[in-house]
Amino acid sequence: MPFDCKHIRNFSIVAHIDHGKSTLADRLLEHTGTVEKRQLKEQMLDDMELERQRGITIKARAVRMEYRHKGELYELNLIDTPGHVDFQYEVSRSLACCEGAVLLVDAFQGVEAQTVANAYSAIAQDLTIVPVINKVDLTYARVDEVLEEMEQSLAIDPEEVIRASAKSGIGIEEVLEAIVERVPPPVGDPDKVLRAMVFDSLYDAYRGAITYIRILDGTVRKGQKIRFARQGTTHEVTELGQFVPQRRACEELRAGQVGYLVCNIKDVKQVHIGDTVTVPGDEAAEALPGYKPPQRMVYCGLYPSEGENFEELRDSLEKLAINDPSFEYSPESSDALGFGFRCGFLGLLHMEIIQQRLEKESDLDLVQTAPNVTYQVLTSSGETLEITNPQDVPDSGQIEEFRQPIVRTNFITPAEYIGPIMQLCTDRRGVYLKTEYLSPTRAMLCFDLPLAEVIYDLHDKLKSVTKGYGTMDYELQGYFPADLVRLDILVGGKKVDALSIICDRRDADRRGRAIVKKLRGEIDRHMFEVALQAAIGTRIIARETISALRKNVTAKCYGGDISRKKKLWAKQKEGKKRMKSIGSVDIPQKAFMAVLDTGQERT
Amino acid sequence: MSGLPRSVYLHVPFCRHRCGYCDFTLVAGRDDLIDQYLEALERELRRLTQPLEIDTLYLGGGTPSHLGGERLERLFAMLRQTLHPVEHAEITLEANPLDVNEPFVAAARRCGVTRVSLGSQSLDVATLRVLDRDHMPDDVRRASGMLAEAGMSRSLDLMTAAPGQTVTDVERDLEAIVSLEPEHVSVYCLTWEQGTAFETQRRKGLLEPVTDLAERAMFEAAIDRLGDAGFEHYEVSNFARPGHRCRHNEAYWDLRPWEAFGPGAARFDGRTRVTNHRSTTTWIKRVLGGHDPTGDRDAMSAEEAARERLVVGLRRRAGITVADFETVSGFTPRQLAAKSIDRWIADGLAVEEEGRLWLTRDGLLVSDSLWADVL
Ligand SMILES: Nc1nc2c(ncn2[C@@H]2O[C@H](COP(=O)(O)OP(=O)(O)OP(=O)(O)O)[C@@H](O)[C@H]2O)c(=O)[nH]1
Ligand code: SF4
Ligand SMILES: [Mg+2]
Repeated sequence: MPFDCKHIRNFSIVAHIDHGKSTLADRLLEHTGTVEKRQLKEQMLDDMELERQRGITIKARAVRMEYRHKGELYELNLIDTPGHVDFQYEVSRSLACCEGAVLLVDAFQGVEAQTVANAYSAIAQDLTIVPVINKVDLTYARVDEVLEEMEQSLAIDPEEVIRASAKSGIGIEEVLEAIVERVPPPVGDPDKVLRAMVFDSLYDAYRGAITYIRILDGTVRKGQKIRFARQGTTHEVTELGQFVPQRRACEELRAGQVGYLVCNIKDVKQVHIGDTVTVPGDEAAEALPGYKPPQRMVYCGLYPSEGENFEELRDSLEKLAINDPSFEYSPESSDALGFGFRCGFLGLLHMEIIQQRLEKESDLDLVQTAPNVTYQVLTSSGETLEITNPQDVPDSGQIEEFRQPIVRTNFITPAEYIGPIMQLCTDRRGVYLKTEYLSPTRAMLCFDLPLAEVIYDLHDKLKSVTKGYGTMDYELQGYFPADLVRLDILVGGKKVDALSIICDRRDADRRGRAIVKKLRGEIDRHMFEVALQAAIGTRIIARETISALRKNVTAKCYGGDISRKKKLWAKQKEGKKRMKSIGSVDIPQKAFMAVLDTGQERT
Repeated sequence: MSGLPRSVYLHVPFCRHRCGYCDFTLVAGRDDLIDQYLEALERELRRLTQPLEIDTLYLGGGTPSHLGGERLERLFAMLRQTLHPVEHAEITLEANPLDVNEPFVAAARRCGVTRVSLGSQSLDVATLRVLDRDHMPDDVRRASGMLAEAGMSRSLDLMTAAPGQTVTDVERDLEAIVSLEPEHVSVYCLTWEQGTAFETQRRKGLLEPVTDLAERAMFEAAIDRLGDAGFEHYEVSNFARPGHRCRHNEAYWDLRPWEAFGPGAARFDGRTRVTNHRSTTTWIKRVLGGHDPTGDRDAMSAEEAARERLVVGLRRRAGITVADFETVSGFTPRQLAAKSIDRWIADGLAVEEEGRLWLTRDGLLVSDSLWADVL
């Protein structure tokens, strides 16, 4: 018996990172009997190796459950979402497929920055919020205060908040009941023309592209022809089904349901997230508005340390991009590093993850340049350039306006750390906007900050000045003019393009000094003296020297000594693989990160 | 290249106390273990299924002289059952100057020792004190004289780059050593090894290494002064009067097979280097328990062996004879590292002439930085 819309509920679980979304999903799977207890693993929807390693959710996952309430059987489609700010776009995509959102708040941590951000996204998409306080089992849970915070910051009625523990199973039944009773059913009509939203896709080595959809209207059946409205391509549905949580094939999906399609599409690039699935021909439904494409926040260069591995690197990047459309790459070349790729990421965590996969899945030694944000240059001829690589900054004479990305940043913190956070942001040329109290002891601070100042180390610094209690969230506001310059680094008299950075003119001296100093520590001594300089245009603003190596020879080389020494030399050789020779100076991978040194023991 | 080993190394892991810079395999103040050690050694020697005819035998440590004359003779009696030195074999014993007295020298002679390597390190009181050594300069003079009188070939150790040492100090030490007229001198630059007392103190800022500029100057002073005094500089750290090179060590550098016994001792069969467990007590336990005392095994392909041969060959001042190298190893140096060799030559670090390839002094002094490209 197919479920009609009245008996379907679609919801996401959203929260700040680590508040227990995936654990709650486990409990719901268990409670509804979707997964047998003995097959249940902790955070079982986090099944990617990297997710398990890091203990966080990276990719949103959908699951279908059945739940009997007051004698009636319901189909519940749950989407577990990631909490980390880099993957915010996964959350907004998931929300677009749902009518409700379970908003989890940790009973000890309370309302944090992503709690607010995610709650607002859900409200903005008109979803019904089912507020839940999780982890009430903790002995130091402070339920009443957290209720107050929720009321203050999100106008959530404390009466509506369910007290739960995803760990010990408290309140799970109430959560399920609330989902059925409070979240409205989807409104689609199974008899109308097919209209479904593509909210994700995945590449499967055997079946090709797997398209994840939420059906708004109509019904899709196995063997039927469908059309991607934007892409304009037509395909035959060879398999369709739902997630339980593995893929399980079925005969049809109807309005309101969430599931997947397999259409024999070999190239995942043919499936666009945000596209609309409909029928071919004149009857076709109009395309849905779709999603905003994910915003790449940081860019870096990736180069093979052996130039001849360029093609291999391209193949590996392509393979990765198939499963992660949010990451982007395009070929570029550098005088210093040869041929490589400029890659764009959602944030530093995303960058780290992609790199880790790249290294694991291919056997390449990579040299990575320091990450940078995107800038805009308005040239004197009136053109606007997107600068993702400092090398591409035109001569100062041609720059009419140099703009940098500004993000609106919300901090949530115990009130005693307001001072230190203010300091942190003013040091970074932040513009203060407002403070709001969530409770007498917790506050939300709002600043506009240059993205470049936020992305590299602000999170770490925040954690350290707030003893781990402060959290932050940011959202791009746009590009605004600033007094920016390109700072170049010369090694042995040669400009190393891959070491150039863009920074505020007022910071240039300090950063230049810090970078060459840091580089001095990173570059090994050579047989000759190596000069390190920082320059703006032709003006040298800082200089350091690495003196020549005078003596490096093992004294004892008897009997077994050489075996031990060989291990050491082998390590050095391993290290050398990650080096790039510029002129005759070997620059290790780590040195390319030296440019992130801000040169200020800022708080 | 294999054949039966004609050299044997024996590791004697006992010292009176552990010097602050030393990370060798040894136990200090555990003389109670000596008897078990000798017993284990006897067991390990049974690995040899037939008596071995040998050209060189080297007792290193630790401090082999710490055994004392009587136990030394017991040890040699045991060795003679399986090891048969040829006539004019080189039998070297490492000795602490304090252990060298008439009865000990007489015992060593009876054992057939032909050569004594004296752990002299310095003839300067302050340096000896910094180095944590238990002997005085006069002990070195006395021991050296006694050994000369007994007709032993002497090698003296000289340590450079001790904390606080200056180039002048080293020059003075060199004079003193030359004046003792040893047949052989080994010059060792102090290294700061993980886990040593020196390294811990360095990290705490209590000891400061000399600058590498000074280190280089000290080493160059040794090369110059010993050269003037008629010593051949035949390997990075080793200097000998003509005809007095250490034949045992030359076997290592020729990659000839050798046998070895004792904790931490490494043997080599021409392809594989097997190192015993470095802990003295573990080694004793394993050997006496009838277990394999191996700690580490370094098996090399023909090419890896050739690369290693290139490295140890180039650490010798004479370098390598290209044709011989190819005959023995099956590879030409250029097959192994053409790019690097050309770069060294261009940078003045190596010279190739008349079929020989060797490192210049500049090259030798920084040679560790070259090997990563070769191995
Ligand atoms: N004590 C207690 N711990 C919980 C509870 N729920 C989750 N946890 C723990 O909180 C940590 C994070 O849980 P997850 O379920 O991975 O959190 P998440 O929100 O999915 O995290 P991200 O997906 O990375 O944002 C884990 O160590 C859980 O065991 C709870 O009710 N009580
Ligand atoms: S005497 Fe020699 S082996 Fe013994 S501790 Fe001192 S340096 Fe090390
Ligand atoms: Mg999760």
